[in-house]
Amino acid sequence: MRLWNIAWKYLCGRPLASVLTAVSVALGVSLVLATFLLTRGIRAGFIAGTTDYSLIIGAKSSPTQLVLGTIFRLDVATPNIPYTVYEQLHDDVRVERAVPVALGDAYQGFRYVGTTTDYFAAAPWQRKTFSVAAGRFWSDDPPGQPSYGAMLGAEVAQRTGLQIGEAFYEGEEMAEHPLKVVGILRPVHSADDRTIFFSLASYWDMNEVARAMAVKPLTTVLVRPKRLSDLTHLHREFNVNPETQAALPSAVLLTIFNLLGVAEEVLRFVLGAVVLVVLLYMFVALYSAMLERRREIATMRALGARRITVLMIVLLEACLIALIGGIVGLLGGHGVAVLGAHLLSQRGGLALAPFTVSTVHPLLLVGVVLLGACAGLLPAVLAYRTAVAENLAPLS
Amino acid sequence: MAQSPPAVLLQDVKKSFPLGHGNALEVLNVTALALPVGSHTVLKGPSGSGKTTLLNLIAGIALPTSGRIQVNGTDLVPLPEPQRDRFRAAHIGYIFQTFNLLAPFTALENVMLAMRFADTIPRRGQRQRAIALLSQLGLKTRLSHRPAQLSRGEQQRVAMARALANDPPVLLADEPCASLDAATAQVVLMALENICREQATTVLIVTHDTAALAGAAQVLDMQEINRVTGQPDGLEGA
Repeated sequence: MRLWNIAWKYLCGRPLASVLTAVSVALGVSLVLATFLLTRGIRAGFIAGTTDYSLIIGAKSSPTQLVLGTIFRLDVATPNIPYTVYEQLHDDVRVERAVPVALGDAYQGFRYVGTTTDYFAAAPWQRKTFSVAAGRFWSDDPPGQPSYGAMLGAEVAQRTGLQIGEAFYEGEEMAEHPLKVVGILRPVHSADDRTIFFSLASYWDMNEVARAMAVKPLTTVLVRPKRLSDLTHLHREFNVNPETQAALPSAVLLTIFNLLGVAEEVLRFVLGAVVLVVLLYMFVALYSAMLERRREIATMRALGARRITVLMIVLLEACLIALIGGIVGLLGGHGVAVLGAHLLSQRGGLALAPFTVSTVHPLLLVGVVLLGACAGLLPAVLAYRTAVAENLAPLS
Repeated sequence: MAQSPPAVLLQDVKKSFPLGHGNALEVLNVTALALPVGSHTVLKGPSGSGKTTLLNLIAGIALPTSGRIQVNGTDLVPLPEPQRDRFRAAHIGYIFQTFNLLAPFTALENVMLAMRFADTIPRRGQRQRAIALLSQLGLKTRLSHRPAQLSRGEQQRVAMARALANDPPVLLADEPCASLDAATAQVVLMALENICREQATTVLIVTHDTAALAGAAQVLDMQEINRVTGQPDGLEGA
């Protein structure tokens, strides 16, 4: 019979205490892992979902609102700007590409975006390329001749079940202007997967106010300047303009990461407290178990078990319970991360990968077992020092 | 032809416990005690006369304040603790008054544990030996039962099998029948005697039971061996 087998038998001998201790370890590990996966996932999600356009022009508001609303579809849309802003940028020699974006309502929670085919056009500086999984891209409709052809992001198609050729609308007032699915995009792992795209002509025609406007409205314009020096000039020009503002997505992302860093700092402190509580609980459980069986330890010693043997048995118990709790905790952590990723995907517009396995997992498991051994050290030392003759005396 | 040395030999053994302020309570003072190899000895005496203390000293569980204890030719007192533990595991079987079976383990595992700690029997043969011993004591159908699932008599027989697991040359039994009824005590003692006779084991039984006295080659009175008299109760386990 091996030592770990003896330790295991002792754990099984007090099932309730062992299960509760393992559960407390599992909860601690789950929280630590889920927090790690989600915070890392949120950062990765922001980086993956960010735009390759260097500048976003929109109405006066906060730069964060402008970027979050336009790129991540997270915040409420900023007020409109006139279409002439786009025309001005389109004709600007310093601009390599300008793409108009009009943020609209939503269908089953998936945001409408009116734009041009330039939005999907490939370029050497773009990290991702749009391609169709089914159907086709729509073509830019001439003003006043909307086709109402819609292009669905990959997740929209998957979650709504809309098929090519199918018409859809949300709200009775939109029944006169149903959109018709003409294409479904392949996943690009950004907010675009959760977006319904159609032409600006359709966008303007759907809205009664926009229909009546002489100068059509837009929400933002995505801008890619030709040179870096042009970026600073354009940024200044559009910020000086009383009707527009220019935001740098990279700067906004940095601000978001700084805020996340503060939140992570607080979380680390809370998690540290959780780990401490779990360790204390584990220590108390092992200590009381040790006290309860001093007689059995004395018996083992009388049978010839050396001090180091009983010390190892108690330490192995601590390690086994930590290992079991750790493994369950890893699974639980991924479960929590899946839930968190689902919520963030639905409400936050970020695409997370909650099943990512990395070197953190074995490190976390080793750390948990080592901490478990630490929690079991004092009970193990007490077992080591158990006086044999005194504890073998018949119980009165 | 030279006479073989005794299995157990005690010379001028004293045991006292410190009381603080430089005072000590002497509980045992044995000038000489020798148990021949293969002998069957019963030690009787009133509660508090130092019987259990004497067994603990012979087993190497406790050390004397002074004197010499030799078991199977080995002086226990100068042995470092780990070696004494190893020696005890291999050479001394100990049956406790309250059996002291380990609760989470089955009858078979309780016996195998003693072999695990001694490690004198090859690991492959440990299971077979434990099964054979338990079967010999009539527990073949109780191998996978835990102590709580066994009767007092069965628990005592498991404790006996555990004490004999490593085929020890010396077997110590502390009131082995104290918590058994007369009929069960008779059966248990008979089984013990048979096994020890077969294996020429030196047996020292501490008991009040007259049934145990019947099979003994010699009966020792603790009051005659121990020169310390008038001990208070409650030092038995000391």
